[in-house]
Amino acid sequence: MEQKRVMGRRDFLKTTTTGLGGFAYLSANLTRPPDAPDKFEGTRVLGRTGIRMPIVSMGVMNTDNPQLVRAALDAGYVFLDTAQGYQRGTNESMLGEILKDRPRDSFFIATKASLPKDQTTGGYGPDATEEAYTKKIDTSLKSLGLDYIDIYHHHGTWTRGATLHGPILSALQKAKQAGKIRWIGVSTHRNEPEVVEAATDSKVYDVALAAYNFRQQHAAEVQKAIARAAGAGLGIVGMKSMGGNRGGAYASTQIDARACIKWVLQDPSVATVICGFTTFDQMTLDLAILKDLTLTASEREQLRKASLAAGLYCQGCGACVGQCRQVLPIPDLMRAHMYLYGYRNLVAAQDLVLSLALPNTVCGDCGACPVACTNRWNVSERVRDVIRLRDVPTSFFA
Amino acid sequence: MKTRSTFVAVLLAFVLWGGPSLAAGATPFAFPAMDGWTLAGRLQVFSPDMLYEYIDGGADLYLKYDFEELQVIEYRKEKMSVSAEVYRHRDADHAFGIYSQERVPSADFLALGAQGYYENAVCNFIQGGYYVKLSSENTGSDDREILLAFARRISQELPAQTALPAILSAFPSDGKKPNSEKFIAKDFLGYAFFHSGFIADYDRSGQKYQLFVISGDSPDDARAMLGQYLKQIKQEMNLAEGTYELKDPYQGEMALFWKGKYIWGTMKVTDPGLRSAYLKQFEGILIP
Repeated sequence: MEQKRVMGRRDFLKTTTTGLGGFAYLSANLTRPPDAPDKFEGTRVLGRTGIRMPIVSMGVMNTDNPQLVRAALDAGYVFLDTAQGYQRGTNESMLGEILKDRPRDSFFIATKASLPKDQTTGGYGPDATEEAYTKKIDTSLKSLGLDYIDIYHHHGTWTRGATLHGPILSALQKAKQAGKIRWIGVSTHRNEPEVVEAATDSKVYDVALAAYNFRQQHAAEVQKAIARAAGAGLGIVGMKSMGGNRGGAYASTQIDARACIKWVLQDPSVATVICGFTTFDQMTLDLAILKDLTLTASEREQLRKASLAAGLYCQGCGACVGQCRQVLPIPDLMRAHMYLYGYRNLVAAQDLVLSLALPNTVCGDCGACPVACTNRWNVSERVRDVIRLRDVPTSFFA
Repeated sequence: MKTRSTFVAVLLAFVLWGGPSLAAGATPFAFPAMDGWTLAGRLQVFSPDMLYEYIDGGADLYLKYDFEELQVIEYRKEKMSVSAEVYRHRDADHAFGIYSQERVPSADFLALGAQGYYENAVCNFIQGGYYVKLSSENTGSDDREILLAFARRISQELPAQTALPAILSAFPSDGKKPNSEKFIAKDFLGYAFFHSGFIADYDRSGQKYQLFVISGDSPDDARAMLGQYLKQIKQEMNLAEGTYELKDPYQGEMALFWKGKYIWGTMKVTDPGLRSAYLKQFEGILIP
């Protein structure tokens, strides 16, 4: 199969000194006449990094096939996204083997790591030290076999507090000063607006990698947060464009990956989207987006139908937190409701409900429920539904 | 509301009757008590759509391996802590698959479940459709023994399936790198039509290559996969059981053999004699 090289990788990596000027360039291209797709170059500038890169990039997390990565780099992909946690570090070491034979200025790489967080509060404990995070950075450098990493993301935060955790920011800043990393990033898969806002306010982060897709009930909030971040000079990288795995069993509606990627890229704040392809055909099809970002009529219809189906599950936006007069853990209860009615998993639903240490009387004397769900769900009704599992003996499910 | 009440009642009836809330064949798992250790925090349970909350972008790969449920608990004893994660996948092959993606061939392997290993405050093993991941903090010089005690106790709570996938025995041993075998659940070799397959790394006199086996659902399924592959690499020919010497545009020298529901082959083996020998060795095990 002949691979069409869309453009040279080194061409993408030419830096510009006019980062914000890049957005003007993008805007001009996004409003180009539809009959002139060939003039679209398919690159954008990643915020204050000044790096011009293709609007589609490779997320390596789903593959252990080095030939796929090599083929992607040969075909025109430049930006590779991995993480220390992917395949317990073997994803980084696989990339190290591939990249050692390539000129350092022919690719751009981001990796990421976190430290253990409290899964309930999302906050860090006393063990989340600067020293511990510095070890993470050094481990990534060793696994990748590189002298420096282009972007190091503080991985998977969902609260302002964790995003601004001092010891980790300090470790990242010192690594940047030492030349171990070029830019500091943050990645977030939920409660993205709060994280991106915190990253913008921090004056430390250069890049934000955020879940962003048409299925998010809070997509407008994500859009607003990343627009502010981009305006402040942060480079914005989109991920989870399909809102789940690539058309897999858990995507509520089957949809073409390219429609989802294009949807994200209609937002000029987004410099590039991480695509988690696992086949050579997907690699080629995703790369074709560089040539034309226009959503076809068919793709628009797929997005419309999938959007309608997206309201079935709690999006984890966190907007309800703190609204309940009884201070009930509403996101957890909505998750239990999803286990029960979405997945028909009574065991998981009951386990979760019992673990929440709820008061004896729930939703009893409140009158009108003040909780406003972004899904427009009747939260109190769902809470009352699911807490009845407390009354079922656990032995029924054993 | 009434509809949902009815739904719950019907589900409960299923449970009482014996209907599954777990996948068919799956055995309910509960974390055991450990002498001298207390549970810290609550049990956390993650379903497929919520796995991102726990392992972020790493969840994608677990979903490819038909992940069904994760249970997480933390044990504590004074300053020591052990975190236990039990991932349930659709079957033993898929549990092996995700385990094989994460194991490091140089690890300290143990007779634990179907296979396990210890490495730097981590002890992981598979047993049946379960993938168990243990990690410790502040356990000092006793770390290995502590994690092994947890692993053995948790193993007792899991189904007694302690064998690796049988198809792994078909891989010729000559040149095979120990513990390099993997099960790829989807898009095997980067092609969607090869729905899954087993692959292992070889190193013989400095020459590195890979051998693989694809098990179709039936002979017709294997035939269809082979036909699609030949079309993909633009080397269409009449299909018949036997050997195919091919040049894959992405992966170089390929030698395939199709027989029955199996397709097996070599990748980047340049010596024709060695290719032929390997293909015959596979056949001797796969097609007795």
